[in-house]
Amino acid sequence: MKHRNSCQESEETGGGLHSLMERIKVKRSSLLFLLVLLLIIMIGPTLPSGIMSLMLEMMILSIFAMGYDICLGYTDQCSLGHSLFFGVGAYGILLPVLHFNVGLWLALLIALAITFVFGFLEGLISVRLSEAYFVIITAIFFFIFFLLALSMTWLTGGDDGLSVQIPPVDLGFATFSVYNRLVNYYLVFFFLVITYIILKRIVNSPLGNVFISIRENQERASFLGYNVFRYKLAAFVLSALFAGLSGALYAIRLRYGNADFFGFSWSVNPIIWSLLGGMGTLVGPCIGVVILSLFQYYVSGWWSQYLVIVGVLLIVVLRVSPKGIMGYIRSKTQEVRWKKVQA
Amino acid sequence: MAHGDIYMAGAVLSFYVLQWFGNFWLALIIVPVAIGLISIPIERFVLRPFEGRPAVTMIATVGIAFIIQQGVLGIYGGTPNKMPDPWPVYVNLLGVGYPGYRIMIACISVLIITALWLFLYKTSYGILIRATIQDKEMASAIGINDNRILMATFALGGVLAALGGVLAAPINQVFYLMGNDVILLCFIVVIVGGLGSLKGTLIASLTLCTLEAGMTMVLKPIEARVAIFIVMILVLVFRPKGLFSE
Repeated sequence: MKHRNSCQESEETGGGLHSLMERIKVKRSSLLFLLVLLLIIMIGPTLPSGIMSLMLEMMILSIFAMGYDICLGYTDQCSLGHSLFFGVGAYGILLPVLHFNVGLWLALLIALAITFVFGFLEGLISVRLSEAYFVIITAIFFFIFFLLALSMTWLTGGDDGLSVQIPPVDLGFATFSVYNRLVNYYLVFFFLVITYIILKRIVNSPLGNVFISIRENQERASFLGYNVFRYKLAAFVLSALFAGLSGALYAIRLRYGNADFFGFSWSVNPIIWSLLGGMGTLVGPCIGVVILSLFQYYVSGWWSQYLVIVGVLLIVVLRVSPKGIMGYIRSKTQEVRWKKVQA
Repeated sequence: MAHGDIYMAGAVLSFYVLQWFGNFWLALIIVPVAIGLISIPIERFVLRPFEGRPAVTMIATVGIAFIIQQGVLGIYGGTPNKMPDPWPVYVNLLGVGYPGYRIMIACISVLIITALWLFLYKTSYGILIRATIQDKEMASAIGINDNRILMATFALGGVLAALGGVLAAPINQVFYLMGNDVILLCFIVVIVGGLGSLKGTLIASLTLCTLEAGMTMVLKPIEARVAIFIVMILVLVFRPKGLFSE
């Protein structure tokens, strides 16, 4: 699961020329980012509703995936229990709206606050444990709350779930219903961009470097004086927060939440996304989401036991490409750059 | 991770063996051997490449669990089936008729645990296993074939899980999700007892199951399970590596 970023090594060889190229590359990548942004904004109104809902799902799950990768890809904590936060986020928004009739923004805040508390408490217990224990403990956590959500029907609605109508949102200059397709689309898109920007900043900050140093060598990081437990906890809570956010958005989109939000598939999927797309990157997990969503959308239509394929896929991806698709792309571009530098 | 489903596979296979041969005792022997034989190639070709990285191995076993579960769903179907009681004898225990089969299960499990303990702690092969788990490189340096040991250990785990499944099949319903009920309890037991400690696992499973059974008298089953979960958290807060780990 550990891989070294050879980018730093190659940077020194290039000298002044290389730094120029690096700057152009940064510009190119941010240009690409803006292009994708514009494309998604422009494409919104023209989409047919089937594709639109698929897009929405992908965007919501991308938030989950990017957050999860902070945990798995940046600090090497392989959590098997993020569905807990996904479900908590969903119920965190459903219950206040249902019982206290609060508005969207306040409900979102409440959902995030509850997820934070859950993530922090679970993190306190589980983060300091060793790798194998961590996987099992997180699995136990989500399993217990899954069972609880199934049985506490008075609160969660159990298998039947709760359906809810989110009141219209007041943006100051106008009011919108969340259930307008376009409003929903742009709302989710807004959160996706916010998530990307926040996480990008964190990853590029000193904090992100500490995360990576913990991933590469936890003992060395603690010898350097970093409080490894605290940083790992921070990464865990951060990823829990975004899982909660995406759970809340998912519940808003479906106007509905049931105990399945805590289910096993929401724990396993983020791992597949990250592995498939590439751990330790932000774009990679999103690519993983797109691939797996398309796959589920089309395959589950004609074969109900597509989970077999998911299982095979999981093993094959683990085996073939530990760095995922992004890792592959990166190594290719690096090869090309090396050739240029040598020539 | 996959052991819950191996347990389930054991139960389902025993259901089929019972259908074909009409003999439960035959299933008790055939099924674990078959599962053991199946798990050897699984270890060799699926899990071996991830050796030494516990988290990755676990994720891979999740994949295996998916495949087993959905495969059974496809072949066996989603409806639970009841198996006939293989030993319909009732023992009069303190004035209450107690099914003889359950007593037999208790005897068999005591037998198996004793055998396992003797195997791990008194035979030379058990010493090899423990040495390999403690320090794999050192073990292979002094000439132990560590790959074969790991394969055998995984197969042994599969055999035991399947045996558990076969034994539990007549008591519980045979259902493709029956592994999920067990795996949670197994995880909690292993965590509380400490990984790699047979004694700890045994004591933890006895106390926790007694606790759960005792609490179901006053609480709902789900609440009893949550209570056990709280016990586990308390243990972890004070002993992060479990009660009996070295």
